[in-house]
Amino acid sequence: MQIRFCVAVVLGVALIATPAPAVDDATTQALLTLKRVTREGKGNEDAGPAWKTIVSKGGVALLPTLEAFEDGNPTAANWLRTAVDAIAEAEKAAGRKLPADKLEAFTTNPKFAAAARRSAYELLLTEDPSAKARLLPGFLNDKSPDLRRDAIANELEILERAARPSIKADLEKLFALARDKDQVELLAKKVNAAGGKASIAEHFGFVTFASLVGPFDAPESKGFTIPYPPDSAKDSSGKFMGKGAAELKWTPASTTDPLGKFDLNKLLGKHKNSAAYALTTLISEQEIPCEIRVTSPTSVKIFLNQKELFGRDEYHHGSPFDGNVGRGTLRKGENVLVVKVCQNNQTDSWAQDWRFQMRVCDDTGGPLAGVSQISTLDGKPVPLGFIPAQPANTEDKK
Amino acid sequence: MNRFILAAFVTLTPTLSLTASDWPQFRGPNATGVSNEENLPTEWSKTKGIAWKAELPGRGASSPVVVGNRVYVTCSSGTRDDRLHVLGFDATTGKQLWHRQLQGTGGTACHPKTCMAANTPVADETGVYALFATADLAAFDADGTLRWYRSLVGDYPTITNAVGMASSPILAAGRLIVPMDNAGESFLAALDTKYGKNVWKVDRPREISWTTPLVRTVGSTTELLFSGPKGLTNYDAATGETRWTFKGGGGSVPVGVLDGDSIYLPVGGVSKFKIDAKGVAEKPEWAARDAKSGYASPLVYAGKVFTTDGQGFISCVDAKTGKELYKERVKGAFSASPVAADGKVYCLNETGICTVLDAKADAFEVLASNELGEGSLGTPAIANGRIFIRTEKALYAVGR
Repeated sequence: MQIRFCVAVVLGVALIATPAPAVDDATTQALLTLKRVTREGKGNEDAGPAWKTIVSKGGVALLPTLEAFEDGNPTAANWLRTAVDAIAEAEKAAGRKLPADKLEAFTTNPKFAAAARRSAYELLLTEDPSAKARLLPGFLNDKSPDLRRDAIANELEILERAARPSIKADLEKLFALARDKDQVELLAKKVNAAGGKASIAEHFGFVTFASLVGPFDAPESKGFTIPYPPDSAKDSSGKFMGKGAAELKWTPASTTDPLGKFDLNKLLGKHKNSAAYALTTLISEQEIPCEIRVTSPTSVKIFLNQKELFGRDEYHHGSPFDGNVGRGTLRKGENVLVVKVCQNNQTDSWAQDWRFQMRVCDDTGGPLAGVSQISTLDGKPVPLGFIPAQPANTEDKK
Repeated sequence: MNRFILAAFVTLTPTLSLTASDWPQFRGPNATGVSNEENLPTEWSKTKGIAWKAELPGRGASSPVVVGNRVYVTCSSGTRDDRLHVLGFDATTGKQLWHRQLQGTGGTACHPKTCMAANTPVADETGVYALFATADLAAFDADGTLRWYRSLVGDYPTITNAVGMASSPILAAGRLIVPMDNAGESFLAALDTKYGKNVWKVDRPREISWTTPLVRTVGSTTELLFSGPKGLTNYDAATGETRWTFKGGGGSVPVGVLDGDSIYLPVGGVSKFKIDAKGVAEKPEWAARDAKSGYASPLVYAGKVFTTDGQGFISCVDAKTGKELYKERVKGAFSASPVAADGKVYCLNETGICTVLDAKADAFEVLASNELGEGSLGTPAIANGRIFIRTEKALYAVGR
């Protein structure tokens, strides 16, 4: 039995190690052509024929096409993805099998683009449905959100089916790995029910302490486009002229909301045609890429260390979780995160919310190690997501 | 006399050189919702009167479109609703001929009722053009070859509509017309069909809207009539130049119907206006205030105007006078627009029940009420002697 197993392993390794058939020049050139398509269809005239060239090569072009995906080039990825579909479809129509071994090796190699690995995984399952159980446990911490999600759902099912006396530690592990909000919330509930303690706020890295300033006057709902001094704030000092010529200064605030919500209607009062800012000081132990994700039903701009990372000018069309994403880099030491949140002049009852949540995370939406926020209560660093017992702002404005 | 001459020059022409039985775009030939097909089915169910059924890989509020022997459908799926699907079927047998997937590159936030496959694709004899609510746009040949692809959010990053977009592309004057009213960079554009590059692109108000342009020909000019919250604007399809704007024709969900020198607009219920080369008459000939539209666009057929709404009401008024002939409530809300052919009006509701009316009758004559048992938001297509209905799960070809 052991010998058979060893032989199988050796064969498997040999198969994976076997060099893929050499990619001909035409395919290589065609793949490069697809990757060169840029804005407004520039390059489409060459990409169409290139796509046909790749697909005409059949199965031998499948892996090279998957390998050509790049995470940062979504336009090329869609050209490539449809070529993968067409190749796989033609191979199946011709009665040929897809190379399951190569697809598996590709799927499990994290150096390849997440979207390509997901496509390869799905093709693999059409050839070998048993690969699901075999591979999913390896995707629990995958950069592909879909592979990770499936892996977590699969693991949870296995855990619960096993009906062991205590699965608290396993649930905590899954909770730490989860990224999608519904899975995070589900697992937090299960961890807590199993006697553990899962903080959704810390997991998501919500900013819970901030200094606020506002309202600034934003006539005709143009707060998004009007630059106000806090756009380039370096700290929470200074005085500004606000709506109605009122003198404004930064005031410390915090939230006890489990999902890090700051309700500006309560904190600053209800104002229309207004803009407000929240400033948070982040401390990072190292220079590290980050994502600043903001949820708000109204227009938002995100600034990190005086640099605008993102803006979206839209009011009261819903408030999708993580609907605004700014990508930047935290420098070692202090960083100043500023979020501008605007309010328009709509009078509809459903258009009165003026609020935001913001979180600091990695590119999978997961926690960033070594990053903390400065508490507005005592000026000391606390973890992101730390919920104070008492809010820094003791008085709600009506 | 002048009006007569003008009216003579205002002629509706088909947008595409297709066979009469095709259903190439949202609301079919000339966006009327009317087909000249005959001998269409009246009664069906899940197990009766279905020529074929094909499972779909995701949801969609978009309509199927049919050109020749091809049916094209779009779907979206995935936890983030960012997996976009375009499928081609054999219209006769229901065999899936090809299936291509795209990864949505724009935001996927939307009202829970809708999804990223909300825009109806447009097809011609060469293939299909699919626009999604993520602002991903792709052209496929009839055999599934990707002709070109555009990430419009990649091109214009501020595009956003967190309610979800649903305006459908159309073909006019040999161009692909792309409506992109939204809260960010809002525009109407004409793209060349071969490579998908902009021929022209004009700014639109930064307001969300879900309407689809109408097409008409005045003399030698092809025009696009595009409504939005601020009015109905007429563009020259060749250049994008604004010819006129009718402020009284504003609307952001249902779309009007052109019928010779009249236009029926879903304003004030439904209103009939005279339209000529210079624009739309200031005042309507009539306004039927109780004929509400909601999401569904009105239908003009057999001398009557039919509307359906979100409360389950079907209204019918006389097209000449605007006089109400009936207003009756049936089970379930309507999202799909009513369609007609063969003397029948088909009103498909959100639960998949299709109320079939006798179009000739001046009273509410229900010929049949057909249930598929699956939710449905997309307007049905009528072609090749069949009615093509897409539900949440499947595409049905109803008929022989």
